[in-house]
Amino acid sequence: MFKNHFKIAWRNLLKDRMSSVINIGGLAVGMAVALLIGFWIYDEVNFNKSFKNYDRIAQLMQHQTANGNISTFNGMPLPLGKELQTNYGNNFKYVVMTSWAGDGIITAGEKNLSKRGIFMDEDGPRMFSLKMIEGSYDALKYPNTIIISSSMAKAFFGNDDPINKPMKIGHKLDVKVTGVYEDIPLNTEFAGLEYIAPWSLYLTSEKWIKQSEAAWDNNSFQIYVQIADHTAFDAVDRNIMHSKNIHDAPEDKKYNAQVFLNPMRDWHLRTHFENGIRTGGPIEYVRLFSIIGIFVLLLACINFMNLSTARSEKRAKEVGIRKSIGSLRGQLVMQFYVESLLIVMVAFALSLVLAQLILPWFNDVASKKMIIPWNNPFFWIAGLGFSFITGIIAGSYPALYLSSFQPIKVLKGTFKVGRLAAIPRKILVVMQFSISLALIIGTIVVYNQIQFSKNRPIGYNRNGLMMIRMKTPDFYGKFGLLENELKNSGAVEQMAESHSPLTNVYSSNNGFSWPGQNPSLDEDFETIWVTHDFGKTISWQLKEGRDFSKEFTSDSSAIIINESAVKYMGLKDPVGTIVKWGTDANAKNYKIIGVVKDLLMESPYDAVKQTIYFMDYDNVNWIILKLNPNKSAKQSISQVESVFKKYIPSVPFDYEFADREFASKFAAEERIGKLSTFFAGLAIFISCLGLFGLASFVAEQRTKEIGVRKVLGASLFNLWRLLSKDFLLLVMISLLIAVPLSYYFMNNWLLHYNYRTNISWWVFGISGVGVILITLLTVSFQALKAAVANPVKSLRSE
Amino acid sequence: MIKITELEKIYRTEEVETIALNKLSIEVKDGEFVAVMGPSGCGKSTLLNILGLLDDPDKGSFIFNQIEVADFNERRRADLRKHNIGFVFQSFNLIDELTVFENVELPLIYTGVKSADRKKRVEEVLDKVQIMHRRNHYPQQLSGGQQQRVAVARAVVNKPKLILADEPTGNLDSHNGNDVMQLLTELNEQGTTIVMVTHSEHDAGYSHRIIRMLDGQTVTENILV
Repeated sequence: MFKNHFKIAWRNLLKDRMSSVINIGGLAVGMAVALLIGFWIYDEVNFNKSFKNYDRIAQLMQHQTANGNISTFNGMPLPLGKELQTNYGNNFKYVVMTSWAGDGIITAGEKNLSKRGIFMDEDGPRMFSLKMIEGSYDALKYPNTIIISSSMAKAFFGNDDPINKPMKIGHKLDVKVTGVYEDIPLNTEFAGLEYIAPWSLYLTSEKWIKQSEAAWDNNSFQIYVQIADHTAFDAVDRNIMHSKNIHDAPEDKKYNAQVFLNPMRDWHLRTHFENGIRTGGPIEYVRLFSIIGIFVLLLACINFMNLSTARSEKRAKEVGIRKSIGSLRGQLVMQFYVESLLIVMVAFALSLVLAQLILPWFNDVASKKMIIPWNNPFFWIAGLGFSFITGIIAGSYPALYLSSFQPIKVLKGTFKVGRLAAIPRKILVVMQFSISLALIIGTIVVYNQIQFSKNRPIGYNRNGLMMIRMKTPDFYGKFGLLENELKNSGAVEQMAESHSPLTNVYSSNNGFSWPGQNPSLDEDFETIWVTHDFGKTISWQLKEGRDFSKEFTSDSSAIIINESAVKYMGLKDPVGTIVKWGTDANAKNYKIIGVVKDLLMESPYDAVKQTIYFMDYDNVNWIILKLNPNKSAKQSISQVESVFKKYIPSVPFDYEFADREFASKFAAEERIGKLSTFFAGLAIFISCLGLFGLASFVAEQRTKEIGVRKVLGASLFNLWRLLSKDFLLLVMISLLIAVPLSYYFMNNWLLHYNYRTNISWWVFGISGVGVILITLLTVSFQALKAAVANPVKSLRSE
Repeated sequence: MIKITELEKIYRTEEVETIALNKLSIEVKDGEFVAVMGPSGCGKSTLLNILGLLDDPDKGSFIFNQIEVADFNERRRADLRKHNIGFVFQSFNLIDELTVFENVELPLIYTGVKSADRKKRVEEVLDKVQIMHRRNHYPQQLSGGQQQRVAVARAVVNKPKLILADEPTGNLDSHNGNDVMQLLTELNEQGTTIVMVTHSEHDAGYSHRIIRMLDGQTVTENILV
């Protein structure tokens, strides 16, 4: 019996090639999308899970309240580490202080390489369960040690044994290798971390760190913990909540610092806090893509159901004959299930091929390294199980519907599908197009938002601005020499130094006061230290007053503020105002000499913050160069490189361009945009495939009617309109559903951004018109084919 | 009205070649009522399709209203057809999705008659075929005889010069069949030319002249009137 089912199913597949191709193709595309999204979600939710103590590790964070707003961040004061160990020790198994991970210049022998690394308490490697290839978890016990990743070991020492080899961090800290760990997996927080040096070394490496040992107001460090075995995160939270606040200076108590644990399971997906409350983060994208994946698969299933039921009317006679020779209804149901399962399995096989083909591109867009787990039995169980369920769902409607036909009616030829039989099909088509339209509208809104933010005025000229970080002390005191030679070479038009790069602000400070200050304002400013020519280099735009100038020696106590700061401070006539920084005897007075237009240096989606620019040659980390616009960038870069190599030979030449760095701020949104374009494209493709099949069915079903109408004198245009009208109506209904739905969701999405575009009516207009055109194109092919057919044939067949 | 000379039509499939019409020559005068008879496969329906400009001959001449139409293209044939020819089929061929009124109205829409005129004319013919009371019903809700009366109404609503009927009583009982034949006779008396294909000697008796066909040729012609 089963063999017979299978044989009939196979023959039906071959007989109706067109609808088989549409069915299998559509389903395979839908499944491939579901697979890719499945891989992506799997990767996302398993982030960090390779750490053995995943469930027990947390990072310390704090809430602080200023001007009625709670901000949340992970910077911690240095003394809190010791405090937690001594006074709250029974809550924790490990308390690990760390620096911020960053690039450092590592030297071994003749080799100088820029590597990403971190300073960590000695318990770090044990807590994060690093896989040690050489050395033990105690490798960081002594200050002048370093442990390195296996790929870094290879880069420096090739096949030699790295243990006990001497190295230098940042050209000044002498260490020797005491351990080698396996490269940390890509889908973890610490991916790409090439070296770990001991915290004890960090403490002695810089004066300011040493000075921070008792500073409760310097949140420049990170603390990771593993909680004790007997306790839970919320219990620890309650215990340590005020551990910082009780030590804060009296004037800082108003910030009401509350310390809490951010469990490792939330690090990746639940990163957003709003006013002290966790509000989600990338988890929203996981949810969104799950929904999209389900929808795209659903679209494909809908196609399958639609085409099967549509075709079923052709097969009514077969059902009648089978029933009249004794087939039971159950057997017919079985037969149709076998058919649908066969189609689904073929589609599944095809979808694996498709997924394999798309995966490289998908990895690129999602910046992941996912692979199809061919050897994983769970993958096969899940995949086949999921295909089976798809087959059952997609096959159920045709199976149950077809098998219910009454044989006498079918065979006598009086079988007519009622006017209502098409309604479920129509609902399904409306669903398909609503989903597709919503995806298209969503995609357009995402790109609008990106474009809108990209076009935002930035207050300086970003072209040809090169940024070089002064990674080691080797840079200090060489600026004059570099400037002289680079300007003479003609490669560089102007250059200056700055505390922050142009695409970030490293520092914010409080403790400022000025005449007319609102006493209830908890003032806080972005602070940037720059040299004289900074403004000239980046072409900032002075609104009032003057730029820093070498002619005024008094400019060492001059400041320039941005327009936002003028507003923030409530100044009517800012130039000449004296701003005092500090409260004690060391407090210094600064005079505002100029106001510049807001410079967009941080998030393109947020308002520019109040900023103060100081003139200072000591507190600078970056060299900013304006390349000569009349020369080719490539030529200028190589000239700059050779000059830097000449004066600072021991540091690898590394540079960034302001425009490219800025563009990378859109990476997340562009990724979303690319993915949603891809999904929307597929959704509309699958929907059209279904529509195409359905239109061909309808045209076929209405052949007689078309014949009669032709005999009565209907023109080609009449018939085309007749056949297209119904589908157009369905698309219109979909538009009515999709527009409010997508407006609601996209409006919510846009609320994440402070600087955001509006959703204008043309977005809906374009999507609507586009989809209508695509629909007409799809349907017209069938409509015209039916309309030009000779009516004699269809009428004779009566 | 109709003059065909040496008309040929051959159907080819991969293996067989069927001669449907073999140098057939027939003439039908204005106002005539002609019955075409013959066994299945003698070419009656092919003849009717060609007369109705639904199909084109392979060879020969076909003069309709003094115009040679054998080499007309699809567009010109459709144009000629919708203004001059009405069809009545054995299986009625009403459109299931449209009501009686809408079915009859259809030809008028295609010839571009204005809505108010259409209503008047449809009601006129529905009245004539005595189906006015069923104007808002769907074809499935009518008996066969009623459906065929609707089909006749539809065929004449455009006041065609020629009505082609393909076994109009084939699916009807004798009572309903006679009604339909009566209707056709009346139309003929009012001046409409009718060519009817039939198997029924009884129905053929309503006509003026019977053309008997065999293997795509005329065998005999009996003049009844």
